Amino acid sequence: MDFTKEKIPPVREDRLGACNAFGGTCHALSRQAKTGCLNNIRRSFTQTQGCQLNLSLIILSTIRDTVIIVHGPIGCGGGNIPMANGIKTFQKLRDPAAKGVVWLNTNLDETDLIKGGEEKLEEAILHADREFRPSAIIVINSCAPGIIGDDIDGLAEKLKDRVTAEIVPVHCEGFKTKIMATAYDSLYHGILRNLIDRADNPVPAGEAKGNSRKVNLLNLSSMSRIDEIELERLLGVLGLEARILPCYAHPDDFGDIRDAALNVSVCATHDDYLTGHLREKYGIPVVTSDIPVGIAATGKWLMNIARFFGLEKEAGQLIESETGKLEKALEPYRKLFKGKRAYVAGGEIRIFATAELLADLGFEIVGLHGFHYDRFMDDLLESRPDKEKMIINIGSGQPFEQSNILEKLKPDLFVGHLGINGWAGKHGIPVFAIFGPGASYMGYKGAFEISRRLARILRNPMFSRNIGENARLPYARQWYEKSAFAYLEDGDPTSQPSKGAEYGQQLPA
Amino acid sequence: MSRFVDLPRYVCALGGAVATINALLGAVPILHAGAGCGGNIGNAFNGASGHLGSGYCGGMALPSSNVFEREIVFGGEERLTEQIETTLEIIDGDLFVVVSGCMVEIIGDDIRAVAGKFRRADRPVLAVETGGFKGNSYKGYDLVLKALFRDFVDESSVKDGKTVNLWGIVPAQDVFWKGNLRVLKSLLEKLGLKVNTFFGDGETLDGLKKAGSAALNIVVSNIYGIEAAELFREIHGVPYISVPFPIGHYATENFLRSVGNALNLETGVPDELIKEEKKTYFNYLERVIDLYNDMDLQRYAVVVGDANYAPALTRFLSDDLGWLPELAIITDLLDDGQKGRLALEFVGYHSGIEPRVAFDTDTSGVVNHVNKCRPENDGSGYYDGFNPGFIVGSSFEKDIAETLGMPLLTVSYPVSNRVVLDRSYAGYEGGLRLAEDILSILVSGR
Repeated sequence: MDFTKEKIPPVREDRLGACNAFGGTCHALSRQAKTGCLNNIRRSFTQTQGCQLNLSLIILSTIRDTVIIVHGPIGCGGGNIPMANGIKTFQKLRDPAAKGVVWLNTNLDETDLIKGGEEKLEEAILHADREFRPSAIIVINSCAPGIIGDDIDGLAEKLKDRVTAEIVPVHCEGFKTKIMATAYDSLYHGILRNLIDRADNPVPAGEAKGNSRKVNLLNLSSMSRIDEIELERLLGVLGLEARILPCYAHPDDFGDIRDAALNVSVCATHDDYLTGHLREKYGIPVVTSDIPVGIAATGKWLMNIARFFGLEKEAGQLIESETGKLEKALEPYRKLFKGKRAYVAGGEIRIFATAELLADLGFEIVGLHGFHYDRFMDDLLESRPDKEKMIINIGSGQPFEQSNILEKLKPDLFVGHLGINGWAGKHGIPVFAIFGPGASYMGYKGAFEISRRLARILRNPMFSRNIGENARLPYARQWYEKSAFAYLEDGDPTSQPSKGAEYGQQLPA
Repeated sequence: MSRFVDLPRYVCALGGAVATINALLGAVPILHAGAGCGGNIGNAFNGASGHLGSGYCGGMALPSSNVFEREIVFGGEERLTEQIETTLEIIDGDLFVVVSGCMVEIIGDDIRAVAGKFRRADRPVLAVETGGFKGNSYKGYDLVLKALFRDFVDESSVKDGKTVNLWGIVPAQDVFWKGNLRVLKSLLEKLGLKVNTFFGDGETLDGLKKAGSAALNIVVSNIYGIEAAELFREIHGVPYISVPFPIGHYATENFLRSVGNALNLETGVPDELIKEEKKTYFNYLERVIDLYNDMDLQRYAVVVGDANYAPALTRFLSDDLGWLPELAIITDLLDDGQKGRLALEFVGYHSGIEPRVAFDTDTSGVVNHVNKCRPENDGSGYYDGFNPGFIVGSSFEKDIAETLGMPLLTVSYPVSNRVVLDRSYAGYEGGLRLAEDILSILVSGR
């Protein structure tokens, strides 16, 4: 169905059956997902996480030649403060003339909450247009204006003839969803409605479409330019030309998006809202396989794309030649990693691909932690041969559960998401970041570079060990004696703690 | 009416409150707020306060009720009660402070009443309303101090003439707060005083609890912590002085003498102490006299900073380093009274320099002020411009520094291009650090 007719997209809890609280085996998660009652599980103790505004802002800030207006009280968007200079550096890798990140906060105060904040937003939009002359002004709505009923779409409509920039409203009220990944839908919704589905932006003629070798390669803000170059290289060998977006793209790039033969996504949970819409409305097919991290996943990714163009033979040759060279290079590392125990935490798609690569390299995977669950995880859960035993924790952050698990499992390596890596480090465990916008992770190059970095990190883990011996974690002793999942409850207050609790107890003491 | 801010250099009152509580050893904040508030605040300070880190129970570990649509519709007090109960079970802390975000205040949750239900808990649970629309991080600092002074500090009828409390240096918003508190405390200890800084090395909750027995409160700011000092005086009968943040030998001597006068120390501040400190200070600073003169390291300067750093840095550059700080831009949200008080900090320089002072919360405004301040180039080929120049500011000045070809030292929040551990820019020691850091940039090409 076409959600873009509405001002606000549905939340992921409703659209994808997403949840962010579970503890148990992969099989148990998969089984419970089928019953449809995952979303009733809740924590009676929670730690902060992030909201869809935080995540939207990270991604939207990368788009060049824009001004972002965070409409909310003065703190909203503050998580972006440390990012501005780094994003500019990354923008310049795509366009040396890139101007960097400009964002404004409308600074809603007590008076505005009573009389409404639209006037202030209007002032900010006019200022942004006059002062910075951007191609697009992206207006991000936070909780407070959402609840007092500020009409950002109405205002955008009212101002459109007075400003040169395209105004792109993006609805990010944090309290609406537990799933940060709803951000992807919210921002694609804004982009679709205002930069793609426009009356003045006609669909390109038929022959350009479908026959061309042009693909939209949908990138991630967590992805490096090195990764993009690697994927472009592989697609280039097959004779395909990649247009990379949404991150670090120019607003005009979105206007052209519909002339591609194929949308190529590296992460279904990141892109399905956009690709689904482009498929249904404009007939542009999409290839979504697992993220091309690791040898097998990269091969599968390439083959799926090649199949669409009838290039299986060429892809087969490419995969064979690449893996042959890579296998030889990886030989010394496999010996180093054999039997080392790794715990993997991060985005739902990345953890499975990364775990598979690590297992391939000789690691033993002792547990998984996904920041949320949605239906894109189903096949990944079921395809794990050890699904009956493999522990999986679902939670956005929630490092208290992680600390409990790490204390029991004592892995040799923690592979994890930004924000929780330090908490693993305080256990004295060497840490490998599961993503990084400055490093190589994807494709064949990524598989090698990941191996190299792992070997380096494991060669001298003294820093984490020193900190682990001297830092104090904030949890009471008795917390470690309980199940890691003791604070997970089914929604019904009369029911027992979640099924996960019994599995948590089984973790080695 | 307040207006929008272009690239704000602070977060909200909730953010300042959380950073303040995190800086208090043994204290743990409990956020009653949306799920993203804590993560947003954690990112803002972790990454832009000299890579402060999560601390004991901050960052992603912050206990937070994470209210969603259900609570917004039906009220969040029940959820908060549950969160306090479970936090007390799981988290090892000595003091818990509930702080609220915008949403729960808009719907009218009574967090003090909820915290009150835990009066008999084995550890104290306080509550303070810090909704983000109340103001910025500095406001949050004041709100938390006020709550601590009102609800945690014991009343004491006996005052100890040798004990003082010192605040006004805002954790995390002052990237160098911990080093600054350490240096100022150790200076005052040389006067024979016992000093509580609450957030510095070696401070305890017990020290905070007994803060009511101090003879004097020293607020090292003309803006931050003043409201809290007024409240302290009202409740605990302790007077306060407000002194500018001191960097270098002139400002530090002034700081010491202000404290001495206020305490009516019989001996005043011993001249020998100041003499000794100055001797050490100049013994080091003297080293660069060769370099300074051989290479002509005098510079025009632009200072961009908060209400503590902008005046302090500008005065140091003028009077200690002999530079020409032509322009100072103060980036805080301030009322006219506060602006007036701050303007007075820029007069009476020993150098005779009278810097132009601007108040601007917009980062893009900085370039306009600089352009206004520089004489125009008439194209004759003989241009008496603003070079060689130097900017002491924040990471947000990176672009303008590049555009104008001026080196930049980042001191005021946000500082994301430096790792800060125990460094201090306060006092005599801080003057030396600042001279080292500034001059090192000028010779970094060697």
